Amino acid sequence: MTAPRRWWKTLIGMALTGVMLFPVYWMINVSFTRDRDMRKSPPSWFPVDGTLEGYRAVLDQQLPYLGASLVVGLGTVALTLAVAAPAAYSLAKLRPRGGGALSFLLLIAQMIPGIIMAMGFYAMYLNLGVLNTLPGLIVADSTLAVPFAVLILTAFMSGIPQELLHAARVDGAGALRTFWSIIMPVSRNAIITVSLFAFLWAWSDFIFASTLDSGGDHQPITLGIYHYIGNNNQQWNAIMATAVVASIPATVLLVIAQRYVTAGVTAGAVKD
Amino acid sequence: MSRIAQAPNRRPAPAIGGSVPTGRGHRKVWRPRAEQLTAWAFLLPIVVYLVVFYAYPLYRNLELSLRDYTVRSFVQGDAPFIGFDNYAKVINDATFGPALWHTVVFTVVSLVFQFGIGLALALFFVRNFRLSATLRALFLVPWLLPLIVSSSTWAWMLNSDSGVVNAVLGMVGVDPVNWLTSPDWALWSVTVANIWIGVPFNLVVLYSGLQAISPAVYEAAALDGASGWQRFWSVTFPLLRPVSAITLLLGLVYTLKVFDIIWIMTRGGPSGASTTFATWSYRLGFGNLVPSFGPGAAVGNLLIVTALVFGLLYIRVQRRQALA
Amino acid sequence: MTAARSSGWSRRTLGVGLAVVAAAGCLAGCSTTTPENGTAATGQPSAGGTYTIWDPYPQYDKTSEWVKLLESCGSQAGVTVERTAFDTSDLTNKALLAAQQGNAPDVIVIDNPVISTLAEAGVLTTTEENKLDISAISPNLIAAGQSGGKTYGVPIGANTLALYYNKAVLDEAGVDIASVKDWVSLTAALEKVKAAGEKGITFSAIGTEEGSFQFLPWFWGSGAQLTKLDSAEGVSAVTLWTDWLKKGYAPNSVINNTQTTSWQEFASGDYAFAENGTWQLANAKQAGFEYGIIPIPGKAGGTAAAPTGGEFVSIPVQQDAARYATSQRLVTCLTSTDNSFTTVSTLSYIAPTEQVQARQITENPELEVWVAAVKAAKGRTSDDLGTKYPKISEPMWGAVQAALSGAKSPQQAMTDAQTAIQ
Repeated sequence: MTAPRRWWKTLIGMALTGVMLFPVYWMINVSFTRDRDMRKSPPSWFPVDGTLEGYRAVLDQQLPYLGASLVVGLGTVALTLAVAAPAAYSLAKLRPRGGGALSFLLLIAQMIPGIIMAMGFYAMYLNLGVLNTLPGLIVADSTLAVPFAVLILTAFMSGIPQELLHAARVDGAGALRTFWSIIMPVSRNAIITVSLFAFLWAWSDFIFASTLDSGGDHQPITLGIYHYIGNNNQQWNAIMATAVVASIPATVLLVIAQRYVTAGVTAGAVKD
Repeated sequence: MSRIAQAPNRRPAPAIGGSVPTGRGHRKVWRPRAEQLTAWAFLLPIVVYLVVFYAYPLYRNLELSLRDYTVRSFVQGDAPFIGFDNYAKVINDATFGPALWHTVVFTVVSLVFQFGIGLALALFFVRNFRLSATLRALFLVPWLLPLIVSSSTWAWMLNSDSGVVNAVLGMVGVDPVNWLTSPDWALWSVTVANIWIGVPFNLVVLYSGLQAISPAVYEAAALDGASGWQRFWSVTFPLLRPVSAITLLLGLVYTLKVFDIIWIMTRGGPSGASTTFATWSYRLGFGNLVPSFGPGAAVGNLLIVTALVFGLLYIRVQRRQALA
Repeated sequence: MTAARSSGWSRRTLGVGLAVVAAAGCLAGCSTTTPENGTAATGQPSAGGTYTIWDPYPQYDKTSEWVKLLESCGSQAGVTVERTAFDTSDLTNKALLAAQQGNAPDVIVIDNPVISTLAEAGVLTTTEENKLDISAISPNLIAAGQSGGKTYGVPIGANTLALYYNKAVLDEAGVDIASVKDWVSLTAALEKVKAAGEKGITFSAIGTEEGSFQFLPWFWGSGAQLTKLDSAEGVSAVTLWTDWLKKGYAPNSVINNTQTTSWQEFASGDYAFAENGTWQLANAKQAGFEYGIIPIPGKAGGTAAAPTGGEFVSIPVQQDAARYATSQRLVTCLTSTDNSFTTVSTLSYIAPTEQVQARQITENPELEVWVAAVKAAKGRTSDDLGTKYPKISEPMWGAVQAALSGAKSPQQAMTDAQTAIQ
């Protein structure tokens, strides 16, 4: 009875995903297109007379960048969670005086234009000597995600039933243990969501990378695009090919991570 | 059963204004010092982080807007203090009115559609079906692309002469539209692209919010004989409110800030038709051969103040609900 | 802030805010008072050590001729060269920022209209200070690097704009390219091409400096001066473009075209003409159709002055003046006759000296038309405009966009632009 209905849902889901990803398909299409066909009117729906030129250029030059991007992405996730999760727990459950003001500052912090942030970091890093290093880039990229992470985690954690915390206190758990063995496991969905975005932001960041790491030995893949942006000319098939190659490993990570977002984490915990 | 029945009434505390009590009648309870110390101990990392990494840029943006910077004084660091002259200058600028209107339209339309589509998709995906996790993950793929690539792709598709959108319109016999090059359409085109970029964010956050609602609540509602719509309006939506509110607030902040998409697709043109405060600020500060840092920073700060106002509004609404 | 005051915890917000600003003040103070200059970061100031070079050629990696040249010039001068490439649009801001922090590179290669801005900011040394020899450089090319009677760098190569045409499209339309001599005959040719069912001309009218760069040959070709945008001549240039769009001789997409996009349109083989630069020559050969190049005609015939493009090599101000000697050797090496030839060939530019230009023509006769075009070209910041040019250029591209998109009439657009300058 339910099986056929679910298949319908899968079909609709695939159709919706298709619509959503059409621009991505178009990017892939362009990545295979010869220079002379780039602005053909009307455009080709498929890369007929396709070229692998873009990919050849990318595979020759870009693969080392992927490793750096991965390190930056995962490093950003770790740093973001380390800073944001305890803060969110405190704001959601421990009711610190002045917590509201702090949340408010987080909101303002996100409004600072990226380019101004980058200028600030440049001055700071130059004096600290961490310009063109991956740890420096990780710290900078984390500023994209930390305020977001605190606000989102706070919203989710404040939904955790108070009974759960009372129970922990009755068992004699301190704040730290409550945080580590109750709040964190129960907030798994929110943590995965926040990690995803921290990773995505770090992976696709361009402003910080170009300001803080353009002379570095290890550069993220977004800077690989620079290879194809000349002072007068841009090689669009190679730019798009870079983006395609860069998305593949990250997409795999996304799919894996999404499988861990599951229903009823909180509910199960309450019943125990 | 009684535990389940209570669930919908348990208003989770708001994200911002964490000092607002969650339960009933806790408001004036005196909190022991030790508890405050513990609370701030958990906040210590974020406080250090904020001071070290955000204070300087924020101060810098403020300082830039209050001094008369030229390229020379930017380098030499001796710009005279001029108070709010830069603000007066941008407010009296001919660009101010249109830019304000474009910012409002862009932000409101983007938010409504991003949230609406995101929520609809989240409700759709929340009933697990085959491949649902994979498809949900694929929705995030646009976020993996640097904005320079995704925005350029949109510009490509919307190109007046060789764009795929006009090609499709041509197939069904509609005249081509100058999506990016006509003053009537440019703002709508960049808004559509921005909605596209914002939908995955709303989907994923709201989906996680839906997952956090206990299935037991639905079971109870189903026992009471509530229909699908009733269940959504009386059970799902109220429980989703804290997450919805923060999603909308963050969406607002991000939308106000958007400049790359517009800048890459239209440069704020043609003739200023898609200029918002964010692109205007960028153009003043960085989009010209000779940068006007002061007015650029002033426009940027006006945006910060706007976000601040909405943040306060959010807190007021949250507080009223929490006390109700 | 008035809204904040009404809320209960506003004073706390303010308190935290003040603490934050105070901390920032210290931070800002630290960052500006610590004289951490390039020398300390990069090595010893005396001979030997590391010299930093910034350029706008991110497309060239370590294996390219350009980077090899940088390294060999470095070893000739007895120093190690540390090179960083930036996107052109990024480089100006980076240079200003680095100079502010006392960390300017030893040598910078930068787009010529930016020179006057950086000079104004006090970032660049003059040739009197750095002892660069500029005697061999063509006067019209060095002009873009001069401001207030001083010279701030040496052109590494020059480029400019001309009209590429597609022979097959013109043949089909029955247009003899020799007949295209002025605006009237060009427009007549476009009309024939359109009548034959092909597309006319493509160019870039995007709302950035690129748009001004492409518009200038027509603006100057009409006899107009940058000091008076709304002259009858200036308006006639905008009207020319606007009419082409209205009649369908040029695609509507030009309003948003970069020069790359415009080139892609021409490369599709559908267009009769394209306004584009020297740097597309290599791409033109791969286009797969026969093409030719003519100078951009003036309104009443003759060759219109096109703006000079290309970069200058300059030596930014350092705290340690002893570094200039080595920097000067590096720049002289980069621009020496032999190396200049390599550089301009790699970049697909025209050399700034007669001697190297002659050698370019000998090796590649096709370049003759470009060498002529570069000789006729004019610096954007010339005519003593200097830092006034950017303030004229922005309203100008704005006016072109307004007229082409139909937001304003050409006359109205140019009048408004002129008002905006004053």
